[in-house]
Amino acid sequence: MADVTFLDVRRLSADDADTADVALAMDEDAFRGFYDRTSGALWGYLSRISGDRQVADDLLQESYYRLLKSTVAFESENHRRNYLYRIATNLVRDTKRTARPVFDTAVEMDDVAARDTHGNTEARQDVRRALGKLKPRERAMLWLAYANGSSHAEIADVLGLKTGSIKLLLFRARRKMAAALQR
Amino acid sequence: MKRDYSDADIEALVAEAIAAEASTARREAHPPSSAIVWWRAQMRARAEATKAVERPLTIVHGLALAASLGLLLGIVGTAIGGLKGTIAWFAGAYASLAANGTSAAAIDFTSRWFMLPMTAMLVSVVVLSIAALVIFADE
Repeated sequence: MADVTFLDVRRLSADDADTADVALAMDEDAFRGFYDRTSGALWGYLSRISGDRQVADDLLQESYYRLLKSTVAFESENHRRNYLYRIATNLVRDTKRTARPVFDTAVEMDDVAARDTHGNTEARQDVRRALGKLKPRERAMLWLAYANGSSHAEIADVLGLKTGSIKLLLFRARRKMAAALQR
Repeated sequence: MKRDYSDADIEALVAEAIAAEASTARREAHPPSSAIVWWRAQMRARAEATKAVERPLTIVHGLALAASLGLLLGIVGTAIGGLKGTIAWFAGAYASLAANGTSAAAIDFTSRWFMLPMTAMLVSVVVLSIAALVIFADE
């Protein structure tokens, strides 16, 4: 039998990593079904929370990759979806901390409005301007509540807050948004 | 003048605005296909797995290099100390022989500065003889 050197072991290990099926949290069919059901809504969430389409494009794939790499045992599709939104929210928060210092300004939300290809109505711009006046966490909260129909417990889970505090925080965010819409 | 809205009115206003915006966002959304995202995830996971396989080897290499360097420095330090001592011993022995005509019996041959190099030389001769024997025996 030929001697196996240290370098051979290293090469064989690297080859194994190239050819073996890598361990991801879902199989391809399950992932693709889940992605098709959730990606459009998640992109909307990312683009409105970050105020930037490019960021939404970048973070969308990163969110799904982190979900695939997670070791959490999901009890249901809802649980998985909430976890995905939690990942996405944290990514937006991290992006804000590092790369984009002026993230939640009205200017960027207006930028989203300016590129609207489906009828650039004044009302739509007003909504975006109003969203731009909110903090990212307030935007996220309102979006989860009224675009996704998430419960207080789900919102708390996604945003890493206490369930008991959501009612008051939502109340304040609604008031702020309404005031911004009336201006 | 601005109207005073009730909480219910405000909730309805905000809910309607967000729902309309969500509907627009869904129309705007053009995420890459699930097949592409899956393929990219696979590629990235494989690249990360390869990196993870190589990382421990790099650590082992680094540790081995550091240990070898330490050992080499230790040997060199000891050898330099021994060499200085041996040279001093020979210089002393020569000086006492030349100056006073002292007999060789008066020189301390049990000194470690004499014994150590002699032992090393003896061991080298034995090892080299065995090595030569093994090499030439094969031939």
